[in-house]
Amino acid sequence: MNNDYEKWLEREVDRELKGLPELNAPAGISSRVLQAIAGRSRLPWYRQSWPAWPPALRFASLALLVAMFGGLCFAGWRVSQLEAFSNGVGRVGNLFGSMSAIWSAVHVLTSTLALLLKQLGTGLMVGCLILIFAGYAMCLGLGTVSFRMAFARR
Amino acid sequence: MKNYQNMVFSTSMRLLANQAEAEDVTQEVFLKAYERFAELQKSSTAGGWLKTVARNLSLNHLTRYRARWSFFSEMFSTSDDSEQPVDFPSTENLEAEIEQADRHEMVEQALRKLPETQRVPLVLYHLEGLRYEEIAVKLKISLGKVKTDIFRGREALRRKLGAQLTAELRP
Repeated sequence: MNNDYEKWLEREVDRELKGLPELNAPAGISSRVLQAIAGRSRLPWYRQSWPAWPPALRFASLALLVAMFGGLCFAGWRVSQLEAFSNGVGRVGNLFGSMSAIWSAVHVLTSTLALLLKQLGTGLMVGCLILIFAGYAMCLGLGTVSFRMAFARR
Repeated sequence: MKNYQNMVFSTSMRLLANQAEAEDVTQEVFLKAYERFAELQKSSTAGGWLKTVARNLSLNHLTRYRARWSFFSEMFSTSDDSEQPVDFPSTENLEAEIEQADRHEMVEQALRKLPETQRVPLVLYHLEGLRYEEIAVKLKISLGKVKTDIFRGREALRRKLGAQLTAELRP
């Protein structure tokens, strides 16, 4: 595309768009906002956003949250010191140990599948891939058509 | 509020191209302004703050409520396929009709009819004064796509506005 043309087009569109006056907001927008503000201020404090809470409650809730966090940290540390916790960690370790048996089985299965695919030949595999791709493309196409139909400008 | 309501509404309307959604966003912007009334009352940049909030909320709105629908349109959008029948004056009687038609309304309508993928970056570039890089970051798309979409948007606008632009000084 011609660079001069692009620059000319940019300049012209810029001139057109910058020359647009502001759109008039609908007449009822002010009253709608005022109603929403009034509606919000009528809500009890606990249903308003946190910054709108009374300062004392904000401070109290913050202190409570800090205390809860501190308590959780302390509890976590204490639990980690218990013997039962070490036993639990050991048990989880054993669980993962048994998972390795499952992993070996999966590995054997995938190897068998790979061998089977090799035996089937390239032609069949390509055919299957084409079939899968065609199905995917069909779904995508149908989705697009539905989208276009649903949102077509009337 | 009356001083800024048109500016906020225009920003939202041009990005969203939907009156009801633009009204919702306008309301949300002023509710946010109300929450920060004490700061904004003294600030000399209240207008800029409102414009930025309107822009960001409109973009959030587009991401949140339209993302799922834009999937297919983004995938299959091209420069020409989304062209709608143009209801602007034909080139033959353009001069005569332009005298009667509201030029600005014509441009607004043309802008509103652009696909979202072209309209949003175009508005951000020309009306909101953002640079290509900033638009790419805001819309989470590549710089190349921003440039392509803006160029396609300009082209589509030129076509929609008929021979008006081409009749003027073209290099």
